[in-house]
Amino acid sequence: MALINVATREIHCKIVYYGPGMSGKTSNLQYIHSQVPPAAKGDLLSIATETERTLFFDFLPLDLGKVRGFQTRFHLYTVPGQVLYERTRVAVLNGTDGIVFVADSQKHKLEENVRSLRELAVNITKQNKKFQDFPVVLQYNKRDMPGALSMATLDKYLNTLAWQRYEATATNGGGVFDTLKAISKLVISKL
Amino acid sequence: MDPQLTSQVVPIEEVRVIEECLARLAEDTSGNHVLLLDKSGQVIASQGDGSRQDITALGALIAGTFASSREVAKLLREKDFKQLFTQGVRENIFIALIDDQWILTIIFSKGTHIGLVKVLTKKATDDLGMVLDRVREQQKHRDDVLGSSFRTSMEDTIDLLFRD
Repeated sequence: MALINVATREIHCKIVYYGPGMSGKTSNLQYIHSQVPPAAKGDLLSIATETERTLFFDFLPLDLGKVRGFQTRFHLYTVPGQVLYERTRVAVLNGTDGIVFVADSQKHKLEENVRSLRELAVNITKQNKKFQDFPVVLQYNKRDMPGALSMATLDKYLNTLAWQRYEATATNGGGVFDTLKAISKLVISKL
Repeated sequence: MDPQLTSQVVPIEEVRVIEECLARLAEDTSGNHVLLLDKSGQVIASQGDGSRQDITALGALIAGTFASSREVAKLLREKDFKQLFTQGVRENIFIALIDDQWILTIIFSKGTHIGLVKVLTKKATDDLGMVLDRVREQQKHRDDVLGSSFRTSMEDTIDLLFRD
């Protein structure tokens, strides 16, 4: 639930990047952090294992400045993608306003994508929210990998709710901002 | 309206009540810092040491800790852990849940007894619980607060800022 503080004239929105392990959620935040002007971003906070896998979450606060007199802030989070961290993902999802589902386009990852998306639907529903109405944007990442599935195939298995979806190669930034723009606008439209 | 389609609007007069409550708690406990967070980690109000620059990250981490403890509670078939206490060498942190929606956090030094912090926090959570009830009751429509042209301006800002 977004927070509108009338006294300090601030709006806060929380966006979570969800998806299977190694699909590129942290890479999305790292690229955003590297490109956004210094005045508009805070430090990128990562709680990761010794091998740089996300343990709890990554956190990137973005400050969009004053819009119509309201200081507007987006807080971006990632979840840990590995299967064993299911409960941790539930914790990070708490109070989120929008989701970017980062899918791995590689053929051998399709089943993991489907399983992760199904888990997301369950977790959102458990928060007493209707998954069909919840703001979600799909990102088909790793489009540059040999053996990446076609968009049509990915749509067939992952985009049954006809969300906005974007192709991406998060490590070099392709599609990262298109995805961020889409989810930001979607969240704002539901404030 | 579905819960995900609403925002929590905290009116000016309620923020004043919250700030007074936090300031009183900080003073009575000699707390270095008192924070009120939404469960998603957003800072609603804070009082205390003005030198802290890391409030936003602190809010995210504390809310994460609390959400994580909730999942631990479920595994133990507890409904919730209402309070968390973290002990450091110089500073301690006491965290209390307010009606499953807000999180009250007090950072205090070794000189203050935890018993005192617990008693005073109980009083503060009761007071803040009443504020939360009022905030929930008087939900205003977004356009009453932001104005109808907010969305267009916001989209322009997003296009301007979020680019390579």
